[in-house]
Amino acid sequence: MTHVVPGPAAPDNQIHDFHPPIAPSGLYWVVPVPGDGLTISPDGSTFTLEMHNVSIVDQPRWPALDSIATPARMSFKMVWKSTGEPVKYEDASKHFRFTGTRAACQLEAHVEVPSIGFSWKSDPLSTSKSDFAIMGEEVNGRYYDG
Amino acid sequence: MSLLNEHSRHSRRDILKSSAVALLPLAIPSAKSSWQPQQPMTANGGTDPYPIPWLDKNGSHNQPAGPNLEPSHIYHFKGRVARCSTFTGMGSDNQGNRIAFGSPTTDYGVMQGEYWAARAPQQGTLTHI
Repeated sequence: MTHVVPGPAAPDNQIHDFHPPIAPSGLYWVVPVPGDGLTISPDGSTFTLEMHNVSIVDQPRWPALDSIATPARMSFKMVWKSTGEPVKYEDASKHFRFTGTRAACQLEAHVEVPSIGFSWKSDPLSTSKSDFAIMGEEVNGRYYDG
Repeated sequence: MSLLNEHSRHSRRDILKSSAVALLPLAIPSAKSSWQPQQPMTANGGTDPYPIPWLDKNGSHNQPAGPNLEPSHIYHFKGRVARCSTFTGMGSDNQGNRIAFGSPTTDYGVMQGEYWAARAPQQGTLTHI
């Protein structure tokens, strides 16, 4: 989910909350990526995800149940770069195993809410940062024991 | 009064009305007649991926991002995955106002590989945004 927040980053300050609708299955905010949307460097150390005009909704009062969802669209580019520091997360009780590395991740995005005449564009990708990022490979569910 | 006598008092209009009522069931498609022949088909469920079965603290299939937490958002999956959260950055709206983005729950993820749905392996790339 993408939050646009004037002032300190806190839920009370957010004025827009962008994400795809929840699927009928209960899957949260997941959409398919077109064939050329994800680029992986030959050595696997950089993932670049780029998508244009993804249909999303703006729910400023999320997670309130009666939060109105206004149709919106989002274009973005996101880059994960491995730091090389190994990471392994595994929980046999939950049938998942992740093996990979820590990463640095940066994002640039453009969102539009046509019905209210609002749009917002981030500064260039290099100016953003995330405090947590990982990349690698995972198996879960029926593939965990395989 | 005999049935014969009663019957003899019916006008031609009454007979036409009765005939129309008698034909009504033929004019309204019944459940049986709406059954159309179909091509042979399977019934294995949709090809959309399954959510992770475990619920988050809010009772939702929304996986938070963080150390020791599962990166994938979909279940029965094997492949590449990347995850991130707690973004900070700046931007501008269409009025020229400088507005920040990001919070601890501003998170994204991408999954590319094989997942199991519709009782068969599926290939795909999906993102949580």
